[in-house]
Amino acid sequence: MTTTAQPTWRDEDVRGFGMAVGGPAQVLRPTSAEQIAAAFAEVAAQGGSIALRGAGCSYGDAATSKGGRVLDLSAMNRILGFDAETGIATVEPGVTVRDLWRRAIAYGYWPKVVSGTMAVTMGGAAAMNIHGKNNFALGSFGECVESFDLLTPGGEQVHCTRESQPELFHAAISGFGMLGCFTRLQIRTKRVHSGRLRVWGIVARDLAHNLQILEDLRGTADYLVSWVDLHGKGVALGRGLMHRAEQLAPGEDPPGLRYFDPVLQDVPTTLFGVVPKGWLWPGMWGAVHLRQVALVNWLKFQAGAREQRHSPYLQTHGAFHFLLDYVPRWQWMTKPGGLIQFQPFVPFAHGERVLRQIVERCQAAGHVPYLGVLKRHRPDPFLMTHAVDGYSLAMDFAVSTNRRRRDALWRLCQELADLVLDVGGRFYYAKDAVLLQSSFARVHGEATVGRFRELKRRWDPNRLLQTDLSRRLGV
Amino acid sequence: MVSRSGTCIVVGASSGIGLAVARRLAIAGRKVALLARREGELRAMAATIDDALGRQAAFPYVHDAADAAAAEPLFARIEQDLGPVDELHYVAGVMPEVALDEFDLEKDRLQVQVNLLGCIAWGNAAARRFLARQAGCIVGVTSVAQDRGRIGKPVYHASKAGMDTYLEALRNRLWRHGVRVTTIRPGFVETPMTAGLKLKGAIAADKAAELILRARDKQKAIAYVPWKWRPIMFVIRNVPSFVFRRLSI
Repeated sequence: MTTTAQPTWRDEDVRGFGMAVGGPAQVLRPTSAEQIAAAFAEVAAQGGSIALRGAGCSYGDAATSKGGRVLDLSAMNRILGFDAETGIATVEPGVTVRDLWRRAIAYGYWPKVVSGTMAVTMGGAAAMNIHGKNNFALGSFGECVESFDLLTPGGEQVHCTRESQPELFHAAISGFGMLGCFTRLQIRTKRVHSGRLRVWGIVARDLAHNLQILEDLRGTADYLVSWVDLHGKGVALGRGLMHRAEQLAPGEDPPGLRYFDPVLQDVPTTLFGVVPKGWLWPGMWGAVHLRQVALVNWLKFQAGAREQRHSPYLQTHGAFHFLLDYVPRWQWMTKPGGLIQFQPFVPFAHGERVLRQIVERCQAAGHVPYLGVLKRHRPDPFLMTHAVDGYSLAMDFAVSTNRRRRDALWRLCQELADLVLDVGGRFYYAKDAVLLQSSFARVHGEATVGRFRELKRRWDPNRLLQTDLSRRLGV
Repeated sequence: MVSRSGTCIVVGASSGIGLAVARRLAIAGRKVALLARREGELRAMAATIDDALGRQAAFPYVHDAADAAAAEPLFARIEQDLGPVDELHYVAGVMPEVALDEFDLEKDRLQVQVNLLGCIAWGNAAARRFLARQAGCIVGVTSVAQDRGRIGKPVYHASKAGMDTYLEALRNRLWRHGVRVTTIRPGFVETPMTAGLKLKGAIAADKAAELILRARDKQKAIAYVPWKWRPIMFVIRNVPSFVFRRLSI
């Protein structure tokens, strides 16, 4: 192996995935743990701070540092090993979900937890403790991490497993890059017996029906996710299309064996085999800016009935999971203002009431999200987790370039956050862009925040690791 | 229509086109002997086939295609284990990186051994038996690279051309006895062998396997995979040498 020279810091515009937050920063792309340690030492000596960043898929400011330094780990992207017996992959932090599933599927494995886009890195997924459409069943990403090496701001490499370092293990995962940098992770994947899933589309008439389907099916389904038309009002409020998927048993889908070829799992890059999908976002931009989103949502809802009639059908894992990759650069449809995603996690007991209130409040305020996604969750053992025994509703808002309207959207989200926090709900830092410092302790409880701050003092006493998010929350 | 019920042998079955062919044969209900050098990969891939199908269809045999002398005894052993073989797919191939000023005999020898001599060894073993039974089919995967000797990988081209000519001779010998020999010349296919080459318009290995088995069913003599390579290679074959030697392709 050749040793490469220390890379140099470059001036770049570093934004969240939603493009609405972030700004200029100096970026370094290390390719080894030694280079990360050298960067830590260099910046610490100058008294500066560093934000850790993977693929930059966090919608908000979790991986940005306006005017600061950003360590982009996407170049540390080697899969160091894959054990075909156990399905455990050993990876560098910049390995993406796509890299992992492409390796795993050939051996008949699939990552246990994947996000809606395959661009996410393993380091980012662990730091944000991401979830997938099976959170209610298999839990969060952290639960499939077997071990990791964490490079602390002090330059110490700590090998963590659940047993050897229980406190650090459960805090670094979910700790949004505040305690150290993952330099190596071991990720457990799961056996699949076909390259396809059996999928049902189920029309949900309203919010209550949506939630009822989640409750009825969460004991048997492997994946459940509902698209919600947030423009539906009155009796149609919260209507949508639920997708339920189940894994296939050995021998159930012999032709599905072919789909262990990774190329067949990738989402198609063209529409009807000819139109490059990279050209689609301008059309969506038109829908957003000509205020036709309600019409698009209505059409999509109507199309749901047809899908339900043709259910169940077989679909590749890739096509089922990575909806956000169907249209490359789709987020550009919200240019120039960008978008934010507001995703409250509401405990089961208050689910229907609070979610209904949120949607009604959005509609009354004239800030109707163009996309809503409803999921079921369960708690997990990670310190700064967002998961609750309940529901989440992810809502994508296009952000206006008009300052007054932008501020009104932020105020609306903060008001909605109060509704959620009042009933013991939570938020997810891969998405959040609006929470205030005063909300941080309410999300996790005073005691948990106290423990996290104590760990931060212990492993990062000089507060080397900072992001716009951590400064906003006053970590 | 030829009845296909015997055992199949796929040489080079742990990855790429060979694996895709083996999977499709197994899905079609055949017993498939998977042959490859890397034992771990081979067993893992055979296990995924059995697991997905819910029955034993894949039978791994560790074999180094460079070891031509091992072909005949292994063929006999497979027939003993799994019953008569009526279909052979020779898909093993190596394409090492070769610099433009590199003339490394070891790399060249390996390519001749795997791409050409291995094919001859397995082709002979199959031909002897199929000729006696007056039935059977042999599919050899050469390459569009065989159509012309180009500057990049001289011995890859030469070994594939040798293989292609051997298969043609075998076809001419055996066709009159009811044995079909099909030569496959794939273009760009996304496989571990071509990983990192950034081939534009490459097809999936599974697609290549589909086209290969279709060519077998249609009893084609020579099939370009996909077909568009036939006109492309027609042009390339007919570029006169005084032009070709100035090109960088």
